[in-house]
Amino acid sequence: MLELDEKFFGRFGAEYSPNQIIFCEYEPGYEFYFIQKGRVRIARIINDREKTIDVLMPGDVFGEMAILEEQPRSATAIAMEHVRVLKFHRDNFDALLQGNPQLAYKLLLIFSKRIYDAKRRLMILLLEEPSLKVMDVLIMLAEQNPQYDFESEISLNSNSQQIASWAGMAEADAQKELTHLTRVGKIDLYEDRVVVKNIRDFQRVIASKRKHMFS
Amino acid sequence: MTRAYKPGSIIYFENDKSEYIYILKSGRVILTYTKIDTGEELKEEVRQGEFFGVKSALGKYPREETAQTIGETVVLALSLSDFEKMILKNVNVVRKMLRVFSNQLRRLNRTVRTVLGDSDNVNPQLELFRIGEHYFKIGDFTKAIYAFKKYMEYYPDTDYAKLAMDRIRTINSGGTAADSMPVPGQKKSAPDSFDSFSMDDSDGGFSFDDSPPPASGQKGSSSSGFSAGETGSSSEFSSEIDDFLSDSDDDLGDFSLDEPAKPKGSSLQDVYNRAEASLEMNNYGAALEIFREVITRASPSKPNEKRLFIDSYYNAGVCSFELKDLKGAMNYFAEITRSYSDTDKLKGAMFYIGRIFEMAGQGEKALAYYNKVMNMRPRDSINSKAMDRIQALQKNR
Repeated sequence: MLELDEKFFGRFGAEYSPNQIIFCEYEPGYEFYFIQKGRVRIARIINDREKTIDVLMPGDVFGEMAILEEQPRSATAIAMEHVRVLKFHRDNFDALLQGNPQLAYKLLLIFSKRIYDAKRRLMILLLEEPSLKVMDVLIMLAEQNPQYDFESEISLNSNSQQIASWAGMAEADAQKELTHLTRVGKIDLYEDRVVVKNIRDFQRVIASKRKHMFS
Repeated sequence: MTRAYKPGSIIYFENDKSEYIYILKSGRVILTYTKIDTGEELKEEVRQGEFFGVKSALGKYPREETAQTIGETVVLALSLSDFEKMILKNVNVVRKMLRVFSNQLRRLNRTVRTVLGDSDNVNPQLELFRIGEHYFKIGDFTKAIYAFKKYMEYYPDTDYAKLAMDRIRTINSGGTAADSMPVPGQKKSAPDSFDSFSMDDSDGGFSFDDSPPPASGQKGSSSSGFSAGETGSSSEFSSEIDDFLSDSDDDLGDFSLDEPAKPKGSSLQDVYNRAEASLEMNNYGAALEIFREVITRASPSKPNEKRLFIDSYYNAGVCSFELKDLKGAMNYFAEITRSYSDTDKLKGAMFYIGRIFEMAGQGEKALAYYNKVMNMRPRDSINSKAMDRIQALQKNR
């Protein structure tokens, strides 16, 4: 978490009340944000429904793509409770880095992680069969938590809607695959979580598929 | 900590997990990785003084590449905390890395969007308004007001800005989506504020006394806007038009001009009027012939004939389009974008070029043109037609 004094907050701080929009999808964006207090929901409107993509915590950064490119916002950021952020304009970026190298380091960490997540997502999307996509989403979700022991059962806090969204599929299609995996005893499906019996098994299937994908 | 490697040694393998970040001091290091979307193997040489293994160490994920030495090699291996200490003293390095990372992320996101079938070709202006509409419809008024206010802030001089303001008023007066105005672009019923304009317009209120275009004061100011911004942009499209015209061996506008029924000596205006009458009756074949006659007879260099010439050009395009002669239509409209981009027919021509690409199954190009039209002034029914087409195309994606 960024340690910054109150003077700094006076200059760059902003506060939002619950359900207030911080920025809106398709709005031109020139600022990026550090959350100091409260949670921020990242959402997009897809097929006329608002879908939550991510929930960010204090210490997290968002809107960082605005630092280096001029593109409209790709999602809407909404304060979930009383939220306090530091808000930096891209024009201040260089000065900001000079004065706050720890912030620069933090941004490196964030970009590294985002790049990996995007690559991992792409690997899922490039699998052809829907059944494999769903399996690989489950593997990815398991990988995200280093606490999991891959040699035993793993309980993932995810529902079919989230899995569908990762797999780039319609929810009904993802549901179908999950139901199938349940029927053949590979997973147990609950409303808010999925228990995978043997994640190594899934990893083997996907690894072998990838190996032959381009040959 | 300095480490020395013999030639051909592996510093790390793809999929290894490790916290170390390296700097090449001397010798050579080759990174080999597999492109995830093609399976292609790529090699990259590290230059002396450069970092490698940064992202996977920082992100705490497996190595994405294999690092192997060529020749006797010395590297500096840094733990994460060493690395942090080091870069805290050298912000320029961080800035450079951030730039590289951000480019990679942008490229990746673009690939992800392509794989998902999302188009890059959306119109952010329109989409921002639609976000407001979404929240307005579901009754989340705080968010709707935010989106509408932002819309008005970024796009103040548009008809949608007026609509956005109306929406905010509706919300503030306690109204709901049910008693609101129609959503623009979703229905043919354009708001009244749009100038009425249609392709088979019969107002034809020009005469020889009309000053040459740009005609009225209002249009004069906006057409100078075109010549600054839009002329350049129409030429950016012109190669696509050429492609379109050249990728078929159709004869261009192969219409025989045998004996168009016309009394000799009738004024150009009379001829034009007859053409327009035919067009109004949807008699496109006959109308086209007569418009072509006007084009042959009129001289665009004479101020009082230029208007007729350009209108005939445009209408000949409309006729050809209606007759499903896409190439012929494209020729007429392309000529307007090339030579008469400072006239009020430019927008209509751009719209029709979009239609032609759409009919030819080239949806992306059609979208590019519709998006252009959307942002052209003055805003009138062509803008809303373009928006209808954009929405129809996006629905069919």
